[in-house]
Amino acid sequence: MSQQTTFLDRHHFLLRRLHSLSGIVPIGLFLIAHLTTNSSILWGKLGLRGEHPEFSWSQGGAAYFAKEVVWINEQVPHLFLIELTLWLSIGFHAVLGTIYALTGRMNTSAYPYGANKRYRLQRASGYIGILFIFYHVATLRWGWTFLIPGGTAWSHNFASSTLAAALRGGEEFTAMGMVVSAFYFIGVSLLVFHFANGLWTAAITWGLTVSRAAQQRWGYVCAGLGAGLMAMAWASVIGFAMHSPAAAREVETKMHPDAAAMPQTP
Amino acid sequence: MEKTAAANRTVRLRIKRCDGPGKPSRWEEFRVPIEPGSNVISCLQAVAANPVTVEGTQTTPVVWDSGCLEEVCGACTMVINGKVRQSCSCLIDDYVTGNDDVITLEPMSRFPVVRDLWVDRARMFHNLKRIKAWVPLDGTYNLGPGPREDAATAERRYVLSTCMTCGCCLEACPQFDLEPDPATWDTSFVGAQVFGQAQLFNDHATSRQHAGERLDVLMGPGGINDCGNAQNCVQVCPKHIPLTQAIGAIGRAATIHAFVRFFRG
Ligand code: HEM
Ligand code: HEM
Ligand code: SF4
Ligand code: SF4
Ligand code: FES
Repeated sequence: MSQQTTFLDRHHFLLRRLHSLSGIVPIGLFLIAHLTTNSSILWGKLGLRGEHPEFSWSQGGAAYFAKEVVWINEQVPHLFLIELTLWLSIGFHAVLGTIYALTGRMNTSAYPYGANKRYRLQRASGYIGILFIFYHVATLRWGWTFLIPGGTAWSHNFASSTLAAALRGGEEFTAMGMVVSAFYFIGVSLLVFHFANGLWTAAITWGLTVSRAAQQRWGYVCAGLGAGLMAMAWASVIGFAMHSPAAAREVETKMHPDAAAMPQTP
Repeated sequence: MEKTAAANRTVRLRIKRCDGPGKPSRWEEFRVPIEPGSNVISCLQAVAANPVTVEGTQTTPVVWDSGCLEEVCGACTMVINGKVRQSCSCLIDDYVTGNDDVITLEPMSRFPVVRDLWVDRARMFHNLKRIKAWVPLDGTYNLGPGPREDAATAERRYVLSTCMTCGCCLEACPQFDLEPDPATWDTSFVGAQVFGQAQLFNDHATSRQHAGERLDVLMGPGGINDCGNAQNCVQVCPKHIPLTQAIGAIGRAATIHAFVRFFRG
């Protein structure tokens, strides 16, 4: 080798494989869990298993989601360490992913094959995805409320109502709220694609799928998983954007009567 | 030629020309008479015989590379109407059906241009050396007959052995870039052709002894991990070599090799 080698070159294989792995665990695994919890705004009544029979379908969703969020915050040990691991993994994957993506030269117009389009979308979804995740975590978790139209601070004691208000830009839909909701819809859809397609390529990277037939079969599995996650992702965004914050707050107050006295900020 | 040109069909060749390495490129257009069965090379021969552009300007003959004229040597590879392929097997009638239609010819973009449509594919041969793409037989005494190859392996390897180092798979690859400076060739992406050839020799009963060394190279910068799985390579390979299968197989071997190397040292 003629030139001096860089850190990336010296640990080339390890970093590449860690990048692949980090997309699956922890990030991908978190995504599955996160979308399952978030979509409960639509199916939460089932999750209550007969508790609060007086709740309507929509109240049940808000109640179950609130319960889940409180459970995570109160019961999961070392939550902050888990969060830190997640943030660092996303940062690691995003930085390397950007570096790797910059080595490519898109040529889908000359070679418009399906896999080539997915290759391109994998990179585009990564770029837009990190913008979404940054906005998402900064506003909801780090309290950068100046980036939320209406300035709602997300609170885990008022999980459903504050989330609905953050998406709507206030109690009712505002123009900026629609922009936020649309951004959520696009960001979440792209990230679900990125994960499902990433699972497909990762199987080639690691050598699990070798033959064309195996790659095709695994492709169907990934598409199926992607479709399921996409349904949950859309259910989450639509479910919260369509939920009235006032109605959700009523449920949250009923669930724990002392909630009204609790701080509105996390 | 003048007397038949009026009666017969013609095609216009729009050609990206370049006078030499580092020189700027320009477009020139030529009108050529065609008959059923004409191909791009036969049209280029007509241009060479009469290098006058459609505007009537006398110019230098267009330079191209070719060898076998039957799609087995790979020398004549160029970009035709935006897509890479061999020009000798490129029938005009497959591209245009009317009279005086245009076909665009460009040199491959991922290799340095020598002149006009002729590029220098030396990097591909350099890469084959990087992975020792051969069967090691040199020695001071007769090694006797080699091990027998079973029919299934022979069949698997046969298709890989038909690679003609044409460069189509590299030209179409979004991860493979032009690297004019040979000093970078030891760390820049090798591309699908090398994965196919590494698989060909890693699967060979004698050459298998170099498999570990090949994997060491392919696990480094420019190796298997720089592939982004766009799978254009397998779509454009004129020999229908299962390149994405080779990529998966090398990925699997690399995974195993890394574990073994980690625990055994
Ligand atoms: C489908 C729409 C989504 C909704 C409604 C939603 C909702 C939420 C909420 C309410 C929080 C706050 C958690 C807390 O502060 O404890 C959160 C955090 C977070 N979300 Fe989402 N999310 C969505 C999609 C996504 C997607 C697609 C990703 C990408 C992987 C993502 C990644 C994160 C991360 C990394 C955090 C911070 C986790 C933590 O530090 O505890 N979210 N999300
Ligand atoms: C945050 C911004 C992100 C960027 C810039 C990014 C970028 C990339 C790029 C460029 C690749 C392709 C690597 C290659 O083929 O060489 C990739 C693969 C992958 N990404 Fe991401 N990504 C991001 C976020 C995510 C997230 C949030 C997830 C999980 C939900 C994820 C999961 C994956 C997976 C599973 C792979 C497949 C790895 C492989 O093919 O071996 N990525 N990412
Ligand atoms: S699969 Fe890999 S080698 Fe083939 S075209 Fe895509 S990036 Fe290039
Ligand atoms: S693998 Fe196919 S496309 Fe690539 S150099 Fe060999 S013959 Fe050409
Ligand atoms: S001249 Fe040999 S492949 Fe075209």
